[in-house]
Amino acid sequence: MKILAHSYVCPKGTYLNGNRLFDTSEEENPLKSAYQQLGVEYPKFYKMDVLSKMAFIGTELLLPFFPKGADLENDLQLIFANSSASQNTDNLFVESYEQIKNPSPSLFVYTLPNIVTGELCIRHKWYGENCFFVEDAFNPAHFSDWAQMGLNKGNNSCLCAWVEAKTNGEQECFLFLLTNSERDEHSIELELSTLIKQYRNE
Amino acid sequence: MSDLKENLKAQIIEQLNLEDLTPADIQDDAPLFGDDGLGLDSIDALEFIVLLDSNYGIKIADPNEGKEIFQSVNTLAAYISKNQ
Amino acid sequence: MHKPVYISHLSLVTPLGNTVEQHFDGFKNGISGIKIIEKGGFQDTNIPLAKRTEITSNRYDTLLREALEKAQLKFTGLSGKTAVIVSSTKGNIDLLPGDTFAGTQPIIHEFFPKTDTFIISNACVSGVIAINTAADYLLAGKYDHVVVIGIDAVSEFVSYGFQSLFALSNETCKPFDKSRNGTVLGEGCGIVLVTIEKPSDFAVLYKGGSSSNDANHISGPSRTGEGLVRSIEKTFKRSGLTASKIDFVSAHGTATVFNDEMESIAFGRTNLDHVPLNSMKGYFGHTLGAAGVLETIMSIVSMEKNILFPNLGFKETGTSVPLNIIQRIESKELTTVLKTASGFGGGNASLILQKQS
Repeated sequence: MKILAHSYVCPKGTYLNGNRLFDTSEEENPLKSAYQQLGVEYPKFYKMDVLSKMAFIGTELLLPFFPKGADLENDLQLIFANSSASQNTDNLFVESYEQIKNPSPSLFVYTLPNIVTGELCIRHKWYGENCFFVEDAFNPAHFSDWAQMGLNKGNNSCLCAWVEAKTNGEQECFLFLLTNSERDEHSIELELSTLIKQYRNE
Repeated sequence: MSDLKENLKAQIIEQLNLEDLTPADIQDDAPLFGDDGLGLDSIDALEFIVLLDSNYGIKIADPNEGKEIFQSVNTLAAYISKNQ
Repeated sequence: MHKPVYISHLSLVTPLGNTVEQHFDGFKNGISGIKIIEKGGFQDTNIPLAKRTEITSNRYDTLLREALEKAQLKFTGLSGKTAVIVSSTKGNIDLLPGDTFAGTQPIIHEFFPKTDTFIISNACVSGVIAINTAADYLLAGKYDHVVVIGIDAVSEFVSYGFQSLFALSNETCKPFDKSRNGTVLGEGCGIVLVTIEKPSDFAVLYKGGSSSNDANHISGPSRTGEGLVRSIEKTFKRSGLTASKIDFVSAHGTATVFNDEMESIAFGRTNLDHVPLNSMKGYFGHTLGAAGVLETIMSIVSMEKNILFPNLGFKETGTSVPLNIIQRIESKELTTVLKTASGFGGGNASLILQKQS
C-alpha cells in the first residue's frame, strides 16, 4: 500500500500534502472562508454539518491525485472514523426539541456520522463501498488493516479520513488516499502517525 | 404584505442555511423547489413546516399540503396572511 | 473462491423474547413486538414502538448486557484470536452531550476481557456491513473468530427525529403493503459468531457481501434503486452466484412509501422480483443498527428449519414492481439466501448465506 496524497482541514487552516494552502486562523468562520478560497461552486456546502464541510474541502483538494483510468465510480472505498460520532449535531438536535420545542428535520438527518461519506458520494458520483468506524483515537494500524481488506476485495483505492467535530470545539479532518503497491504495510502506519502529528503541531 | 415577504426571505435564508444568498436574490414569484428555483429539496420542505410553526404558530399536519403552500414566497405569504 | 467462513451461535434479545426459540415461536405465530406507546412521541403523542417493556431505564446498556449474558455460554471454549464488532447507529444516547459510544467497549470487556473491539456506525446498513467486515478480518487472517453485535435502543431522540421527517406510521409497520404509511421504531440486540473454525452446531457459510452508496440524497431513498442494485450485483460477483440461485431474500422493507418502492425497483432490476421475500420490520419494528444482525439471525433460523416466514403486515401489492412477498408460513428447502439493507446517508449493503452441502 502507498499514500497517494493527504490533506488536513481544521479551524486554523487547510493543508495539502504537508503544505498550508489557506490560513484561516484569524477568521470568524474558518470553514466558510476555506470553502470560499477553494473557489468551488457548491451551495449545498452551507447546509452541511461540520464533519461534512471539512471532508468536502479536504476531498476537493485530493481530486487531482486519484488514480487515472480507475473505475472510481464503483471501486473507490470510503473508510472514515472518529471518536465522537455525530456528537456536535446530536447536541444541536437535542436543543431543537428541548429548547426550541421543534425537532429540526435538517439537523436530524446529520445525526449519523456516515452522512459525511454520503455527502462526498453525492458530490463526486461515487457508488462504491462505505464504512464508518467509531474509535477512541486515530489508529493508523486499524486504517491500514481496513484499507488492505478493502483492496483485497477488489477495490482500486481507499479514501480514508479521521474526521472529528466535538461540542467542545475540537475539529479536524485528516484525509488520505491509499492504493496498492509493493511497499510494506508498516511503513504506512508509521507515515500516517507522523503526518497527523505534524499537521496537529502546525 | 411586503414586510411579511421580506421577513420570510430572511427567515428562509437563516432556517435553510442558504448563506450564499441575500433576500434580494429571492424573487417573490420564483419557484423555491426544483432545479430552476432555489434548488430546495424534501428536507427543506419539512424545515418550512418547522418555520411556519416556530415563527407564525401555524401547524401543518400533512407534508403533502406543503406542496401548494411552499411554491414561492408569494404563496407562502398568502397562506400565512390567511391562517395567522 | 475464498476459504470457508461460517456464521453461527445465534442469540437475540427483542420485545419478542431473549431466546432463539421464543423468536421462532413468535415468527411462526405471527406475533409482532409493536405496541402503541402512550405519550411515546414528541409532545406526548401516542406512537407505535417495538419496545422491550422489561427494560425500564438505561436501555442501551441493559439491552447490551442482557444479550451478552444470554450469549456468553455459547462463546466459552473458543480457541484462537477473537475480536468483537459492535454495530449501532446511536450507541447510548443518554451519554450526550458526551461521546455516545464511550460506554460500549467497557461493557464488551466485562464479557470479553482485553478483546479487540470495533464499532461501526453506518446508519441502517451498519449490521450488514459489520458482518461483511467480520468476514474481511477472517479472510485477511487477522482473527479466527469475530463476534458481531448489532444493537440500538428506543429513544426520544430518534423518535422525535423520525417524527420530524414524517417517517413514522401512526398504527403499525406494513412493509411493501399498499396502505403502508411509515416505519415503526424498535429496539433489540442480536449476536452472531463469524468464524473460520467449523462450528459444531448449526451454521451457514458466508459467501460474500458488499456495500454501496446511492450518490443521490442524504436521507431520501434513490428513485431508481441504483445503489442497492450495485451492491447486490457486487455481492453476486464476489460470491460467484446469480439471482437464479437465491431461494429467499431478507429485504430491508421499512414500510415508508419511498423506501419500499425503491427496493421493489432494485429487486426487479436484479431479477429477484420472483424470489420469495420478506421484511421482518412487522415483527421487530425498525431496529436501525441492530436490524441487519437480527434479520440475518432470523434468516439463518429460516434456513435451519427450511421455513419461509410471512412478511407481517402485508396484504396487498403496493409497489410499482410487484414482488413475491411471503404471505403465509411455508416449507421450502432453503440453500442460498440474500440479505439486503438500505439507509440514511444513501447507504446500501448486502450479503449471501449458503447452507453447507
